[in-house]
Amino acid sequence: MNKFREILCVLLLMFFLQSCAGWAKNKDYHPFDASGLDKLIPGKSTVVQVTEILGAPSEIVKLSNGNAYIYRRSLSKGTGLWLLIVSFGNYEKHYDQVVIFFDKKNIMTHSGITLDAHKAAYGLPF
Amino acid sequence: MVSPFKIFSFMMYTFIVGSLITGCVSYRVIKAVEGRSVPNTYEKFRVGTTTLQEVLEALGAPDQVAELEGKDVLIYQQSLLANRGLSFGIPLTDIWGSGFDFSAYGELVRYDIVLLSFTPDWILSEIANEKGSRSPYLKTILSDKKGN
Repeated sequence: MNKFREILCVLLLMFFLQSCAGWAKNKDYHPFDASGLDKLIPGKSTVVQVTEILGAPSEIVKLSNGNAYIYRRSLSKGTGLWLLIVSFGNYEKHYDQVVIFFDKKNIMTHSGITLDAHKAAYGLPF
Repeated sequence: MVSPFKIFSFMMYTFIVGSLITGCVSYRVIKAVEGRSVPNTYEKFRVGTTTLQEVLEALGAPDQVAELEGKDVLIYQQSLLANRGLSFGIPLTDIWGSGFDFSAYGELVRYDIVLLSFTPDWILSEIANEKGSRSPYLKTILSDKKGN
């Protein structure tokens, strides 16, 4: 029985002495306020009004009948766990995105919004 | 009282066994997810009738917007990376001069993608989708099918 306890102690000591864990967080930050979308009216609001409220877009895409202004930011979180012979890593990256569509006269026609960045979480890969 | 000899042998035992085990075998599991999962609501969309407004209300902002030969395309996607690695070796280099080592690693990136194409007046003209997350890790990575 003493032998068994000794082996158990050795294994536990090995486990704690040779294990480690780490966390990481990255932000691709753009300070646009998505709640400002409520002030914009499709068919009326112009590019100037949109950029006054949301700021400069992260990307502009030329479309067949106008343009799309894309506002994007991301949050990523990583977790690492090393336990003797087994190691686990988990990485999640989520985005907040607002896309505003304009016609050829630079009048806003549509908008889409996804606020998902807060869903990035620390965790294990299962 | 525990004799100093016992403590010393206990520590040595821990050190030697720990070093050998960690030097011999290792297994790693890594998962990386980028983007949100694409909702299945796109299955209700109908080519020729669904509008851009309906798509944006159902799916939110697209991950990519592009123009392709006169058609405007919205892309919703999520990427899922899975990495597994197994390494087994006998660290004999210090006493023998050469060692035995066996390693097997695999990395698989799968995509869930929905591509929606619109006419210039914002009516849905085409739907394409791929559900990579349905493919099991081992079966997919070991497959020798042409193109896979």
